[in-house]
Amino acid sequence: MKKWIPIASGLLAGFVAATISFADFSSTKTNTEAASTTKSDAEKVYVPFGQKDDYYLFASGGHSGQMFIYGVPSMRKIRTIPVFSQDSATGYGFDEHSKKMMGDYTWGDLHHPAFSETKGDYDGKYMFATDVGNSRAAVVDLKTFTTKDIIQVPNTAGPHCAAFVTENTEYMFLPTRFAVPVGQKYESLDNFSDQYRGVMSAVTFNEKNQKLGIAYQVALPPWSYDLSDAGKKSSADWAVMSTYNTEEATTNLEINASQADRDYIVLFNWKELAKMVKEGKYENVGGQKMIYPEKQKGGIYLIPVAKSPHGVDVTPDGKQFIASGKLAPTMTVFSFEKAFKAVANKDFAGERNGIPVLNYKSVMEREVNPENALGPLHTQFDDKGMAYTTMFISSEVVKWNPKTGETLDRVPVQYSPGHSVATEGDTVAPDGKWLIALNKIAKDSYLSVGPSHPESMQLIDISGKMKVIQSAPVDPEPHYAQMIKADKIKTINVYPKDPKNKEAVYKQSDTKIVRNGNKVDVYGIAMRSKFIFDAKAKRPDVIEVNEGDHVTIHLTNIDFDEDITHGFAINSYNLNMEVQPGQTNSMEFVANKAGTYPLYCTNFCSALHQEMNGYFLVKPKK
Amino acid sequence: MNSQSKKLSMVSSLLIVVSAILIVISLFFPWWKMVFVAPQYPEGLNIIVYPNKLEGQIDIVNGLNHYIGMANFSEKNFPELAYLPYLVGGLAALTLLTALLRKKSVLYGLISLFVIGGGLGVFDLQHALKKFGTNLSPEAPIKMDPFVPPILGHNTVANFHTTSLLGLGTYLVIAAFILLLIPLWKDRK
Repeated sequence: MKKWIPIASGLLAGFVAATISFADFSSTKTNTEAASTTKSDAEKVYVPFGQKDDYYLFASGGHSGQMFIYGVPSMRKIRTIPVFSQDSATGYGFDEHSKKMMGDYTWGDLHHPAFSETKGDYDGKYMFATDVGNSRAAVVDLKTFTTKDIIQVPNTAGPHCAAFVTENTEYMFLPTRFAVPVGQKYESLDNFSDQYRGVMSAVTFNEKNQKLGIAYQVALPPWSYDLSDAGKKSSADWAVMSTYNTEEATTNLEINASQADRDYIVLFNWKELAKMVKEGKYENVGGQKMIYPEKQKGGIYLIPVAKSPHGVDVTPDGKQFIASGKLAPTMTVFSFEKAFKAVANKDFAGERNGIPVLNYKSVMEREVNPENALGPLHTQFDDKGMAYTTMFISSEVVKWNPKTGETLDRVPVQYSPGHSVATEGDTVAPDGKWLIALNKIAKDSYLSVGPSHPESMQLIDISGKMKVIQSAPVDPEPHYAQMIKADKIKTINVYPKDPKNKEAVYKQSDTKIVRNGNKVDVYGIAMRSKFIFDAKAKRPDVIEVNEGDHVTIHLTNIDFDEDITHGFAINSYNLNMEVQPGQTNSMEFVANKAGTYPLYCTNFCSALHQEMNGYFLVKPKK
Repeated sequence: MNSQSKKLSMVSSLLIVVSAILIVISLFFPWWKMVFVAPQYPEGLNIIVYPNKLEGQIDIVNGLNHYIGMANFSEKNFPELAYLPYLVGGLAALTLLTALLRKKSVLYGLISLFVIGGGLGVFDLQHALKKFGTNLSPEAPIKMDPFVPPILGHNTVANFHTTSLLGLGTYLVIAAFILLLIPLWKDRK
């Protein structure tokens, strides 16, 4: 036995030494969960350096056209993702890819963000968003937090009532806020009821090529569609939307769209609609497959609801949906099961615009009216299925039990909350830790910046009795937001090399400037701390063209090093783009100004960033 | 001292076989590495040397080194990487042969080869470190005094703290070497 001792000890010594040298003993810590009641409010929101927030908050940027990313519970802003508006900080709307995506638009009104879902839960892969300003939808890749595709939705004017995705992101539905004639052609408002429509689009997303498409559209009545939610679990094939202006008023909507005592919840079965389209039950309208509910019957029903509702939200168990009254101080709880029964039994109270109307009493479960709570707008849920509804007019959040209607808790917020967002609060599995009230009025909350103020987001601990414990100002204007557990999002550190990309150059020696008549194509690289456009040239960092040349600059950042981003701007040419680590980006323009223009790196990259420049020389026409 | 006593025992022969196996295995693991840690690189950058290749964040290290005028690390600059695996493989073959011959004299020869090879390896690495650390381009944006990082241990260059370490491959070779020494002790007169 003895002879093995030296062998074993020798080997052991070697492996121990190797383990010490190579093993990774570090571990990443996240902030400890908020629920601990022994922590003070300050301790609950303090995330020390080296630790990370527990949740990402994706807040819509409203008419900034952008999406704002915050960390929760610290409420620190982390990033702005440009989606529908230009952003010179990232060159968004200047480089070719984003310019093409944006079309001729320079702004958008980003209303409602929606995470991609798998089995009714956020999967952390993509974020969808809608543009009420210019009728578009977009998809953001959460590996890079960049916008990948934007689609213009025809026949629709302002998809406010969206985006919401079905249980496994089969469709993202975009109903419209404003009714317009099909094709958005000219039509007198006197013909509103006959000629205008509130078209809803079923948008699909192809994950392979990261492109959005439209599967079909539905020409709903010319009403305004406000908010919506997809069913969950037993109601997964269905979706609900709130409507207002079923009066079909064409002027002074403030008064005229608030006359009828009841508007409707639209209840539809998207699987049935998809089946109808498959069976050819649609009309071809300008290349779109359009379902006209009064002609192609089935799959769509109306449920009367207290007038001008805002939010309609499905409970986590998928059994109920809650309409928030806005003008009526009531939350109405409806039962999906009862609705399905009414549909099966044809328990209708007539038709409206050719669509069957379900009997209110047959579908309604209870009307909930917390004392003096005014202007219920939107409802989120916690892990126990309890509802949290924002009260715009009485400026508070009310917690209540959808199964009993009992009011459980309420907390004032400053001021006038629109939506709120709870941790994964609209999924099949809410976390029940935090709720953020997205307030429309900040007024005296922060240091004054003049007559107008930022919006405010207030963080409410909902793990016990509700308490506002933090407040963060935010640019205009989060309408809705979603909060996702941080570990669900898997970002990349650098863009991987793409050998198939003909526009990319990864070696300094491969850089070149190709001239073809008046077309100049530059294949260049950016690295710490220089540009190289043509390695063989006397001055590799100079681009010389003739006035009127059509110039395309392809630039690859060959620093495959996290956060070493380079910018590329041409002075006085109104051009700027960025190349993230490993990324190739292009810029295309006509050199219509003769002269001498410095080009430089706009994104501080290194100690010699200031020296990272060259010249863009444009020889004048003779 | 008869011929019988010079013959290695069966157990010794087996130990030498194990030694040969360890040497072959070592080819698949890093032999040496240098870790660069800086305030903005708390996670550290690595240059990892295998018998046949370089790994780690070589491009990033090169990108940073050009500021002080250091030549690029690349497999091209280390022709050793092309033939080192064959030398190591050959050594493993000789070790296996020694196990088969079971002659003490051959084992002495083998151990000598190990010592010479190891010495040459250390010399080669030292030479490379000196070459890179002292041949700094005079045109470098940041001028600094020439330096030679140690084969093992710490060094500081500007904002970088470097640590040189032996890799698992080297430990395997050391273990293999120890296995060769054991028969000398075990089959001592």
